[in-house]
Amino acid sequence: MSDRDLQDILRKLKSSRDYADIPSLLSKAKINLLKLKALTPTPSTPSSTLLLAREVFETGALLSIRAKDPAAFTRYVHQLTPFYELPSSRLPPTGSEKNKITGLYLLLLLTQGDYAGFHTELEGLELREGRVGDVEKDRYLGYPIKLERWLMEGSYDLVWKAMASREVPSEEYGVFSEILTSQIRSEIASCSETAYPSLPISSTKDLLFLDSEGAVVSFAQNRGWLIKDGRIYFPKQSLKANVDEEGNEKQELSAMAIENTLGYARELETIV
Amino acid sequence: MPSKTPHTNGNEPLENGVNGTKDVEMKDDAPAPLKGGKGKKLNEKEEEMTVVVPPSKGSKLSAPPLKDTDGDVAMDGPEDLNDEDAGAVKIDPVAKAVSDIKSNFPLLERAVTMFDARFSLRALRSISAIRKRLTPDILAQVITETYPSTNPAARSLLVAVDRENATFTKPVSAEMEIDGDSKSKSPKKEQKDIIPEIEIFLGILTQIYYLDNKINGKGADFSAHLAERIHSENRRTLDALSARVYFYYSLFCEQMAPLPPSTSSPVVSIRPALLSALRTAVLRKDIDTQSTVIVLLLRNYLSTSHIAQADLLVTHTQFPEDASNNQVARYLYYVGRIRAIQLRYTEAHEHLTSATRKAPSSPSAAGFTQTATKLLLVVQLLMGDIPDRAIFRLTSMERPLAPYLELVQAVRVGQLGEFEHAIKQHGDTFRRDGTYTLILRLRQNVIKTGIRMMSLSYSRISLRDICIRLKLESEESAEYIVAKAIRDGVIEASLDRERGFMKSKEVGDVYATREPGEAFHDRIRACLALHDESVMAMRFPMNQHRLELKNAQEAREREREMAKEIQDGDLDEDDLGGEFEGM
Repeated sequence: MSDRDLQDILRKLKSSRDYADIPSLLSKAKINLLKLKALTPTPSTPSSTLLLAREVFETGALLSIRAKDPAAFTRYVHQLTPFYELPSSRLPPTGSEKNKITGLYLLLLLTQGDYAGFHTELEGLELREGRVGDVEKDRYLGYPIKLERWLMEGSYDLVWKAMASREVPSEEYGVFSEILTSQIRSEIASCSETAYPSLPISSTKDLLFLDSEGAVVSFAQNRGWLIKDGRIYFPKQSLKANVDEEGNEKQELSAMAIENTLGYARELETIV
Repeated sequence: MPSKTPHTNGNEPLENGVNGTKDVEMKDDAPAPLKGGKGKKLNEKEEEMTVVVPPSKGSKLSAPPLKDTDGDVAMDGPEDLNDEDAGAVKIDPVAKAVSDIKSNFPLLERAVTMFDARFSLRALRSISAIRKRLTPDILAQVITETYPSTNPAARSLLVAVDRENATFTKPVSAEMEIDGDSKSKSPKKEQKDIIPEIEIFLGILTQIYYLDNKINGKGADFSAHLAERIHSENRRTLDALSARVYFYYSLFCEQMAPLPPSTSSPVVSIRPALLSALRTAVLRKDIDTQSTVIVLLLRNYLSTSHIAQADLLVTHTQFPEDASNNQVARYLYYVGRIRAIQLRYTEAHEHLTSATRKAPSSPSAAGFTQTATKLLLVVQLLMGDIPDRAIFRLTSMERPLAPYLELVQAVRVGQLGEFEHAIKQHGDTFRRDGTYTLILRLRQNVIKTGIRMMSLSYSRISLRDICIRLKLESEESAEYIVAKAIRDGVIEASLDRERGFMKSKEVGDVYATREPGEAFHDRIRACLALHDESVMAMRFPMNQHRLELKNAQEAREREREMAKEIQDGDLDEDDLGGEFEGM
């Protein structure tokens, strides 16, 4: 009977477009699961319940992404992991949103700058899927993987294009675009500071993927750049810093040399 | 008839002990406690065995008469028997194997009495020699000859080797004679309680037999039993053996039906067992088992690529410092692997370097060295270093490392095309080695190297040219990539957006930086660490230091005397000199 309750709730969840009552529905579903002892899969849980449980968590995960709640999403992902690891004889993979959710999770890790976590997850995927090259070709999984590669390389224009165009595999992925855009922009800005002596405002607009020159000006002011005669000059913090650093460096260098030499002397003494 | 023989046998030892040669004494002694009664059955069994094992038929045929002589004529003439036995030993591989196995028992006993694990290790080391000759019959024979029939342990071992109905015999005959010397001390007592070490040792042999014959399912069950048995014994002298038991246990699980990468593999199901073994081992300060089980767990997690769990295990356990060298090497390799996946390349590099250095240099460990070296190469590349060319020239490495050589060459020159070609061509090899995902990450390094090469060779180069050389998708990408490289400090250059070129700055003098100092420091540190490690690795015999202290004291005294003498001598010399001068 609980099974049926659960199905009802699920149906309501899916049809509901009102974000307000979703949390209550979800928690009701989870209480039901708890009663069925299906919050985590045990060897005795029947397949049908497992299926329902997975569906509840998946809906929950997707909804929490839409509600922009990364913490809740991460929780759902962790709850889903044991379900995804079940053999297909116990829980048929059909109808599962596994790739979509894993892809979203990867993207989340990416936007959080957790590259170690990203690669850890990816390593697991490649190995466990067992199918060669499938991971990259998958629509949902390939997207974050490609983005990561471009980000690491520095091909920001490709990232930008991928986010702007229709390549985004589903609407949930769009949520991250905003975060990624601002991330890229600040990356580019910090690159430009060191790479260019000066930039004309008009081309900065393209460089930073901003809409108008006004936006460029306000962005430049935010970062503390100087604007003169239609060009942006980057305050030569770097130069000043260099001089300063060099002074420091010299001191540091001699301190290090002294320390090292003393260390060698001590070690030599213990050996001889 | 048979009922009579034991009596004679039982009485005999005394006499023999008085007048017999050692060999004979042993031969006759041993049977007594094991209760006779079965003298005949032994023969039956022996004949049965000849049927089971055709190859040894010839040799077997020579064996039965020998047994007969034992039963009936035993007391006649030792010489006679000896000759026959010697003959039997020469021809009979079964007997040889049995005797080889048995020759380890005294070692195990010594390990218990002297409480020195080195003897158990020596026994374990001999396994590889016995391994090829193991058959259930040999095992059964050893078991029946070692244990009295009432022993439950022996029963279960026999069931394990599928020879339940093998009859217990008195260990008469050649085998006993060979290891007779060491056992002759107290044969009677020894037979009364056979130390559990021997049982476990036989268990390990059984495991190996299963493993070599790919009877994995049964092997896993048997191993589980064995592990339980060890757990209940709680003897420190079992440590080395129990480590081995767990090792084979997990090997069985690895080879069972759904192979590791799938999450339903039996590998997953032994994790609780291993974890509890680890807990017990830690509580009992059982270093052998602890180190082995940690390594096994890491291997286990990595085989299903549960890297997060493996990482947690590493952070929450402490690997025993004085674990055996091989386990340390394995542990370092696995930790290095985890760190490489987590992008912590410096740590990975450190671990993998020491793993390759610690790896035993014997040819049997070549596989480990190769795997560790492969991973190390990739990590080095990821760190932006170019591995030493000499590594690829070693004879043991040349072939397996060939794909990696191509890769390194591509990365070194910064040719994206060659790099992708290498990946495409050797993708399967890399996947098999588990380095594929790591290698994919190299792409950015290749690009960076390419940019660096260009910035070194041109003082000014257009973005279009960069784009073409690196085979990038667009000039815009090239611009961003170069900008990033400048920010990351890969190159010293600046960009001109309007005219679209990259202008390199003058390269500074490397020797004016701290780099040479750092390199020097690194090397010295490595040398010092090596020195410390070798000092720590030295083994000192017990109580030897007292002797040395005494010696030292003597030496010091002697020195003092000498100093005194010299002082005196000096004075003399001075005096002499003075005199001389005076003269």
